[in-house]
Amino acid sequence: MERSDEAAVEKCRIHLRPGTLRDAAHATLHLLPCEVLVNGPAPVERFFTPAIRQGPDGLEVSFRGRRLRGEEVVLPPGLEGYVMVMEEKGEVLLGKDFSEGSSKLREQQGLAVPPEALERDFDQFIRATASFSRFTLWGLETIPGPDAKVRGALTWPSLAAAIHAQVPED
Amino acid sequence: MDLGELDGDSTGRCRLNSPVPAVCRKEPCVLGVDEAGRGPVLGPMVYAICYCPLSRLAHLEALKVADSKTLSESERDRLFVKMEEDRDFVGWALDVLSPNLISTSMLGRVKYNLNSLSHDTATGLVQYALDQGVKVAQVFVDTVGPPDTYQARLQEQFPGIEVTVKAKADALYPVVSAASICAKVARDQAVKNWHFVEKLQDLDADYGSGYPNDPKTKAWLRKHVEPVFGFPQFVRFSWRTAQSILEKEAEGVLWEDSPTGDQEGSGRIMSYFSKGPRTHPHLPHRYFQERGLESATTF
Repeated sequence: MERSDEAAVEKCRIHLRPGTLRDAAHATLHLLPCEVLVNGPAPVERFFTPAIRQGPDGLEVSFRGRRLRGEEVVLPPGLEGYVMVMEEKGEVLLGKDFSEGSSKLREQQGLAVPPEALERDFDQFIRATASFSRFTLWGLETIPGPDAKVRGALTWPSLAAAIHAQVPED
Repeated sequence: MDLGELDGDSTGRCRLNSPVPAVCRKEPCVLGVDEAGRGPVLGPMVYAICYCPLSRLAHLEALKVADSKTLSESERDRLFVKMEEDRDFVGWALDVLSPNLISTSMLGRVKYNLNSLSHDTATGLVQYALDQGVKVAQVFVDTVGPPDTYQARLQEQFPGIEVTVKAKADALYPVVSAASICAKVARDQAVKNWHFVEKLQDLDADYGSGYPNDPKTKAWLRKHVEPVFGFPQFVRFSWRTAQSILEKEAEGVLWEDSPTGDQEGSGRIMSYFSKGPRTHPHLPHRYFQERGLESATTF
């Protein structure tokens, strides 16, 4: 099963648009203990934010008639959060960005252009649409607490950096 | 009746009450319990108690209180004003349960059904009267669910009080009729002056009776579906009418305790009999599993 999964994966090369990291506006994020089976905008500011209450021990709200309890999670020092989106595949080769772009123009736009030529369907671009340094983590009826999975996940980058660091030879 | 407290925060529950008449702390009293707004898919459910000394019961009867359902809204309002005028011997208290409280109770991990919620609320109000020093001697309750078990439960809770639980108690006992009027007046006011928590655009205030079979109520529900958030908190999400509209017209939502249909095929017993090598998915190290981390192969 795993093998067939891998076979189905199309190889691609992903480029980051660094300028978008600089310009990304701060966003308020909520991580819910459920999966909404759609991706897209939602009126969070009208439906969700005004319903949040500060209870005696933590934040409270409800979603779809179920009680949630939440707390703020601050990203560990040295980490910055970004909301990333992939650009449509077609955007890679289309457009003024590359076909006519002089290197000067590219610099102005803060685009990191790879030395190789771009290939349709192989090169893809990812950009930041928002940044964050904290978010609200919600649990179903209970406060997620220190054992929440996502808190553990946030410890991975520093561990990854440590185990991938060059070990000085003695 | 001042429902100011409810207007302030309509996400939980709130208790309102009259001052306790001094005579009710001296003389044995009769107390009635009733509710309004149990069936509707919209708005709060209101529980009420009303009490007066046994010696003054005839005065309460003289007001010609009756089952609130047989009275018009203006008659109910008039009778409530009369009861307020008799505040030297008639007392009342309310517990207003917001639709959000009802939804989150009924849809909890541990289901807290409407009957239990009703029984506990009624018990809480009787206890409240006792805590206020009311000399409760008799309690009459309009039943929710089977009257016998409900009566036994209340009797056990309040051994010193004579408890009577009956169907249609609101038509049989004036003190229950009086409680039903308090509850209904409060429920009507709460629905009429509902403060939506959400910032809604072009809100339609014409929601009909709020009962699930009212075509106006159904049309209102359909009109106010939000694909991600479902409904405003004015709606009881736990009602079948609300849920079936969401199933059709809102996005699906999976919770960690949602029942899943056919879980991973490899776990099924028949897989042990199938031909060919069994496929074991390659699991990442426990460190990653415990942190919900997976390596991404696609974006």
